[in-house]
Amino acid sequence: MGLNGDSHQTTLALRGIRVLDFTWIHAGPSGTRILSDQGAEVIKVESNNALSVVGGPASATARGLGQRHNWNAGKLSISLNMKTPQAIDIAKRLAAVSDVVAENFSGRVMPSWGLDYDSIRAVNPSIIMLSMSGFGRTGPWKDRVSYGQTLQAWSGFTQLTGFPDTDPSGPASAYSDAVGGMAGAQAVLLALIHRAKTGRGQWLDVSQFESLSSLLETLVLDMSANGPAAASTRAGNGLPHGGGAPHGAYRCLGEDRWVAISIFSDEEWRAFVDAIGHPQWAEEQRFATSDERWRNSDTLDSLVDSWTIQHTAEDVMGRLQAAGVAAGVVQTGADLSRDPQLKERGFFRRVQDHQGEYRTIESAPYKLSRTPGSVTKGAPAFGADLTYVLRELLGMSDDELADCAIAGAFD
Amino acid sequence: MTGPAEQPNSGPPQPLGGYRVLDLAGPMGVYCGKLMADMGADVIKVEPPGGDPMRGIGPFVDGRPGRSLYWLHFNTNKRSVTLDIGSPKGAALLRKLALASDVLLETCQPGYMDSLGLGYESLAADSPGLVYASITPFGQTGPYRDFKASDLVGFAMGGYMYVTGWPHTPPTRLWGSQAYHTASNRAYIAILLALYHRMMTGEGQYIDISMQEAVAATTEHVNTTYNYTGEPAVRCGFRHGGQFIATWQCSDGYASITTNTQQAWDDLRAWMDRDGMAGDLMDAKYNDRFILRGEHSDYIEDLIQQWALLHTRQEITDFGQSSHHPWGPAATPDEILDNEQLWSREFLKAVESSDGGPSMVYPGAPYRLTESPWQLRRTAPTPGEHNAEVLSGILGLSSQELESLSA
Repeated sequence: MGLNGDSHQTTLALRGIRVLDFTWIHAGPSGTRILSDQGAEVIKVESNNALSVVGGPASATARGLGQRHNWNAGKLSISLNMKTPQAIDIAKRLAAVSDVVAENFSGRVMPSWGLDYDSIRAVNPSIIMLSMSGFGRTGPWKDRVSYGQTLQAWSGFTQLTGFPDTDPSGPASAYSDAVGGMAGAQAVLLALIHRAKTGRGQWLDVSQFESLSSLLETLVLDMSANGPAAASTRAGNGLPHGGGAPHGAYRCLGEDRWVAISIFSDEEWRAFVDAIGHPQWAEEQRFATSDERWRNSDTLDSLVDSWTIQHTAEDVMGRLQAAGVAAGVVQTGADLSRDPQLKERGFFRRVQDHQGEYRTIESAPYKLSRTPGSVTKGAPAFGADLTYVLRELLGMSDDELADCAIAGAFD
Repeated sequence: MTGPAEQPNSGPPQPLGGYRVLDLAGPMGVYCGKLMADMGADVIKVEPPGGDPMRGIGPFVDGRPGRSLYWLHFNTNKRSVTLDIGSPKGAALLRKLALASDVLLETCQPGYMDSLGLGYESLAADSPGLVYASITPFGQTGPYRDFKASDLVGFAMGGYMYVTGWPHTPPTRLWGSQAYHTASNRAYIAILLALYHRMMTGEGQYIDISMQEAVAATTEHVNTTYNYTGEPAVRCGFRHGGQFIATWQCSDGYASITTNTQQAWDDLRAWMDRDGMAGDLMDAKYNDRFILRGEHSDYIEDLIQQWALLHTRQEITDFGQSSHHPWGPAATPDEILDNEQLWSREFLKAVESSDGGPSMVYPGAPYRLTESPWQLRRTAPTPGEHNAEVLSGILGLSSQELESLSA
């Protein structure tokens, strides 16, 4: 098999794994899509009460529709109104025949349905349960609520991201949710490996606050070793602990067009100066060594700007890359959609939704040679797979289904 | 050396216990190796003789080049061997080590490992169960495969930088090398998938990870916004989602106030009104919270900002959380070190210094597996600290052979 795999004879790493997926909005669904891409049967439990939240089946905006497909491609959907005892009973029976139960509610929701870890384990001793909460299910903050941006603020990312002389900007959108989704998927995969070795399931108490805080690098080490004053302040596009100049986004021809350039070594600097045609300023002694460039980086930045502004971002990237210098267009969504590298590697996929319309989604950002994964359809329609799930997996009869429907269990 | 070099592994068995990983990664993948080591894998960091260049990355203990905190952080629980893999002798030893390993992780330029005879095809011929993961800026194929990239350039080419920052600032880097760590996070997922597949089938495989793709798949909204609306997402600082999901300057810093529900919006404007700062926001025409992204949004934004300056982060947090709204402070770094929730869950862990220096605080894992948790079994190694135990223990080299290597 070729390194990129062959979609016609795809082997899926998680074929045979069933995930009962109560997650919603961003962090949870983006995590379980990672599992779905590799063949896990992910049954998304949806409710009429959350139709229009981000990624819900009735997402009100075009972007929300995109997010629904992007984070839920390949999944099944059942509608369950958890206010009815019939729906709770169905959920419990599904948990009994699943490998993984996933949820990202606040702490009181699953216990209120009798679906906390201990209750599920009673019907399925080797279950792996993923609970993704803001702060974790223990500790003094276990009942606090958060959005991605709350966690970005609380973890320090907001305060630390941006330029020193402006308001902090924090990460655009919800880095925290993306990080939480990855951590959730990692935890499930670790637990599946652990279960394959030991036969034991477990409860995964993921605190998205911790997932994000684990990416603070040396922040707490630095303060504990060198005192709180050592902690970083905002460094704009520079590296807070020094090194690298030029290192930033430089303005190019056109409206709001930028190129990112990073130069560390003297060898890279000489290649850069060659590539831009030896302007007089680049030969000055104050830029001759990496230490001097770092010390004079403000001046250097404006001189580099004076060169880049005469060229398109694409030209700068091409010219500097030809000289072996790390440079890249600061790409917009439009740039990404026509990026030749992403195109060649098939990053964007067009998959059909339940009405046969083609929708663009992102591929998994890794290529596994034997188990490349496969995503062949968009997000499911609300409740589309009730019949399959209840008849085939639970063996429910027409009469039972009718009774549940009359009781409002699928509303 | 900080703390005990190695603590007896008294904790419960870890998921990756029993796996051996050869870690040849630079900054783009060093976090991936840490993630595996922290969950129990025997990760052997392969350094060039004289030590890995990452040992020269700051910050440093006492602020002076020497003991790199970067190194200490990203190499917890790893062992170290020094090998010159560019020499035939070193390459031969690496090959032997790889054949005795389950995973090989590397971040060299495409083609470099092949040129040493250490590429996937060559190793897999002798070890079909090997999982071999290569992280590169743009992947192993395509027109940009040989392009160079730093964290900054990966962040830019992946589409996250353009949207980060304010409209009046240049596109902005996230704090920390998050493009590198995103590549590492994605690589780790792929390696775990490959290990699970191997448990089921015995088959190894090759994994090709592109930092650019890793970032592009992590932006939340950049691709969906453009692909579904035809308009690129733009920079809006910490006011994403209009004023629904926003951070405001308050009397002692910044605080995040999310009006994700009608109740949150009603509670916010009622509080502003009690302070006499709501203007006419109590008027029925502002009842619908979606007013926050309509034609009045600039007007409302001004009112909220003026009001927020009256209050501290703590007041805003307490009020919001007591009403179950996701409001909270923009914490400063010293507050993170003191965070009671992180300490209470043992996410933060203080390690005593063996040389009388201050104890150091390490952050924990991104997840909590209740049966098989993260452990700090040993602090980061010194260069070649485990040459003898790895090269004689795993490869059976004699003490003369070891000596000739270090000569």
